[in-house]
Amino acid sequence: MNAAIIGQMAISGALMGLVYALIAYGFQLTYATSKSINFGQGELVMVSAFFSLTLTNLGLSQHWGLGLSYGLMVPGGLIFGAIMGLVVERAGVRLALEQKSEGWILLSIILGLFFFSAAENIWGRDDRPFPTPIPEEPFHVLGLAIGPREVAVAVGVLGIMGLIELLKRKTLLGKAFEAVSADRDAAELMGISATRTVMLSYGLSGSVAALAGILVSPITTVGPTMASAIILKAFSVAVVAGLDSGFGVVLVGMFLGALESLASFYLGSGWREAPGLVLLILALALRPTGVFGKATIRKV
Amino acid sequence: MKRILLLRGAELVVFGLLAMIPLWVVNPYALGLLTLLAIYGILLIGLDVTVGYLGQVNLAHVAFLGLGAYTAGLVVTKLGLGMAPALLAALAVGLLLGGLLALPALRLEGPQFALATLSFSALSTTALNELEGLTGGAQGLSLNRPPIFGQVLTPPLFYWLCMALLAVVWMLMRNLLASQWGRAFEALRDSPIATDAMGVGTYRHKVAAFALGSGLGGLAGGLYAFNFQYLQPQSFTYDLMIILLLGVVLGGRKSLWGAFVGASVIVLLPNLLSNRLLFQVFSGLGFAAALAAGLQGLYKKTTRPFQALAPVVAMGILVVGGLFVPNTEDWRKAIFSLMLFSVVVGLPEGLMGFLAIFLAKLFRVPHAPLPEPADIDAVLPLRPSDGTPLLVIDDLKRYFGGVKAVDGLTMTVRSGSIHGLIGPNGSGKSTVVNVISGLYTPTDGTIALRGVVLPSGSLFRVAQAGVARTFQNLQLFGELTAMENILVALKGVYQSSLPMVLFGLARGEERRAQAEALALLELIGLRDQALTKAKDLTYGAQRFLEIARALARKPDLLILDEPAAGLAHPDMLQQIAIIQKIHQRGVSIILIEHHMDVVSELCDMVTVLDGGRIIAEGTPEEVKRHPKVVEAYLGQPPEPQLDGGPAPQPA
Repeated sequence: MNAAIIGQMAISGALMGLVYALIAYGFQLTYATSKSINFGQGELVMVSAFFSLTLTNLGLSQHWGLGLSYGLMVPGGLIFGAIMGLVVERAGVRLALEQKSEGWILLSIILGLFFFSAAENIWGRDDRPFPTPIPEEPFHVLGLAIGPREVAVAVGVLGIMGLIELLKRKTLLGKAFEAVSADRDAAELMGISATRTVMLSYGLSGSVAALAGILVSPITTVGPTMASAIILKAFSVAVVAGLDSGFGVVLVGMFLGALESLASFYLGSGWREAPGLVLLILALALRPTGVFGKATIRKV
Repeated sequence: MKRILLLRGAELVVFGLLAMIPLWVVNPYALGLLTLLAIYGILLIGLDVTVGYLGQVNLAHVAFLGLGAYTAGLVVTKLGLGMAPALLAALAVGLLLGGLLALPALRLEGPQFALATLSFSALSTTALNELEGLTGGAQGLSLNRPPIFGQVLTPPLFYWLCMALLAVVWMLMRNLLASQWGRAFEALRDSPIATDAMGVGTYRHKVAAFALGSGLGGLAGGLYAFNFQYLQPQSFTYDLMIILLLGVVLGGRKSLWGAFVGASVIVLLPNLLSNRLLFQVFSGLGFAAALAAGLQGLYKKTTRPFQALAPVVAMGILVVGGLFVPNTEDWRKAIFSLMLFSVVVGLPEGLMGFLAIFLAKLFRVPHAPLPEPADIDAVLPLRPSDGTPLLVIDDLKRYFGGVKAVDGLTMTVRSGSIHGLIGPNGSGKSTVVNVISGLYTPTDGTIALRGVVLPSGSLFRVAQAGVARTFQNLQLFGELTAMENILVALKGVYQSSLPMVLFGLARGEERRAQAEALALLELIGLRDQALTKAKDLTYGAQRFLEIARALARKPDLLILDEPAAGLAHPDMLQQIAIIQKIHQRGVSIILIEHHMDVVSELCDMVTVLDGGRIIAEGTPEEVKRHPKVVEAYLGQPPEPQLDGGPAPQPA
């Protein structure tokens, strides 16, 4: 088989894989502070994408031009995502965490289902295009065609992950975040509110999900089911990389993206989802803490 | 007796009524719904094994329904076999694939397990869609309902078949879940480490439970295929999975009746949604119930404000939304989610859990009477304490990275003695215990019990070899009663094979086990608390129960990890008396303890550790005066004139 085609498939797959990495990073944020993740995160991605689409169309109907409405939409979408993240934390996660139960798994699934149904009825069941000022025409580097929208995905993903990591390291709030991640009880004794920090992590995670929706929509279109396939792969990436390695999700995300683009090329597009799922079950069987995760010692 | 009559009577009445329905109901639609009720009943009983008993969010059950359905369909269409082999094949595929998935997935906990099962579901949908040559892909698979044993199945006959299977499954599962197996399932939900340490084999039981539940899913799938006679991969997706979870949670976990109620709700839901008036009445009732329960909870302060108010808000949205939404069918997912949300938050025990308490009060259902305790001499025979070496530890090392937690420990525990293991915090005592009991693998060195090398790195196999332990941080099975905690660990009574258990032929054995458990409870003074849940016992009683549970293993060596930690003085005295009683029966004990007075009073021999090494060994009196021991505890060499003075007390 032609090496150029393989390279082409791998590169564009890997760029898409960064979207999985970004959503997986959102899981890591909440897992760090509360050992919980939002099983309805895919619905958050989708609802935020719809909301952002409405904002963009609103701007366009005011004749602001695509560039301006897109630019104004992005912060709006991120704030919306953060609010949704906070709703999930308040309604689905906090009670279960207080009771030290795993009820949050079921509750976050339930909330996701509610958002899905709401989106279906508010915005309709059809897939819609998402306008973007970024051109579609690919440019050529070393014989490989690369789409500007895929590059935008990469820039956006790495940009926000870098920003959040920087905030975690440089600001007082970030330090509090790290402290709660390391030891919730000790952090509480030092006067840090663990509840607020968990809220912060869910807000951030919601924003990250919203950004993933905004970045991926121009490529995939917006629809109620837009995230149902993506989210499974984001789960795979999070588990395979380990729920505590930001660096790991980027690598695994790109690897998985490349792998599935090759799989759909060789096995047919129906098998597109298979590599991620197989990879996930394998990783769980062989290394449950993830490839980049830290092994923990059981204590009694 | 009254209890048995009431419980069995209710089952007989319900199944009797259900069996008679086709005689006077000829409406094919109603009969179809009742057939579905039976199928979903089997399906939910299977799901309840993982969700209720194992306490894991299992998102793969719908995949087993689908795989079972396709298996039955293919056996009939491609192989041309009859219905009985098709149903057996569906059951077998569920059992087999369930076991296969469980092998990797059940090493995981909570979210990772949910993710693994979710991925399995997605993978199975992909496979059903893409293996077009076999399954017909998205086109679907049509099949006929073949005759069974030469008899053509009319709708009433098929209904009777499904109901009969439900009754059989019900009976077998009732026997299984009330047996040692069901208790083990529940125990490992509460503390997997303790079930391993009690020789129950956590992993094996988990895999068995998951395979069993999945097998029932497969069987239900087979019936599903013959009911609808047309299969499509998209029938078995995430949406249905949510509805199944709704059924189990709404009906009530860990309850056959709960599964039955849940199945009824699932079957009736579509009708509820298509009839506007019915929906409004139902949501109104739900709102009223949530409001009443919430207000009561707030008034009595038994629930948190969120727990009381959130269901009211959710049901309120349902009522108000129902007035404005043009078509409730469009919103069915939102409606499911609001209902499920209210139940999970406001009624965690489910409808049956709630009703069971109410009905038990109404009919004054007594607990089945307990047998008289067995003779303690039969349960825990007196052993000769001959002082021969029992446990020999030779040059044991355990490093964590660069930390040498245990660094070359050599010691001998003599048969029939109480051997104290003391030392300041961080001296390596707990690590030694964890290595002996198999939680940690030693870095180097050997441990032998009666000359036989102990297995390393497996709590389960060490427990099987005759070592039992307690835990410094209590690891009781909180949801089980005190007696059940002991029954889980009890060794040497349960001999019956699985088929005997399934058909309810192991009841005599259960009585004997209860008698032995009560004898052990009497030994620790908790006989009158036999039916109290472990989590509701006082802290002191929980500590005593840990010891009784370990004794149920009838161990050669009992390791007590700080049995007096946190105990008030009277409890501590009782604890000392309990340990002395056990000692008198000739059980050899390793005692890890901080309280010097406990050690002095109980121990025949004491080994003192510091920094992972032995600094002193001897009788309690010798050890207390040992200069290195005093230094380790007080941080300075003793003044010469203090020699022979009062024993220093550790902080």
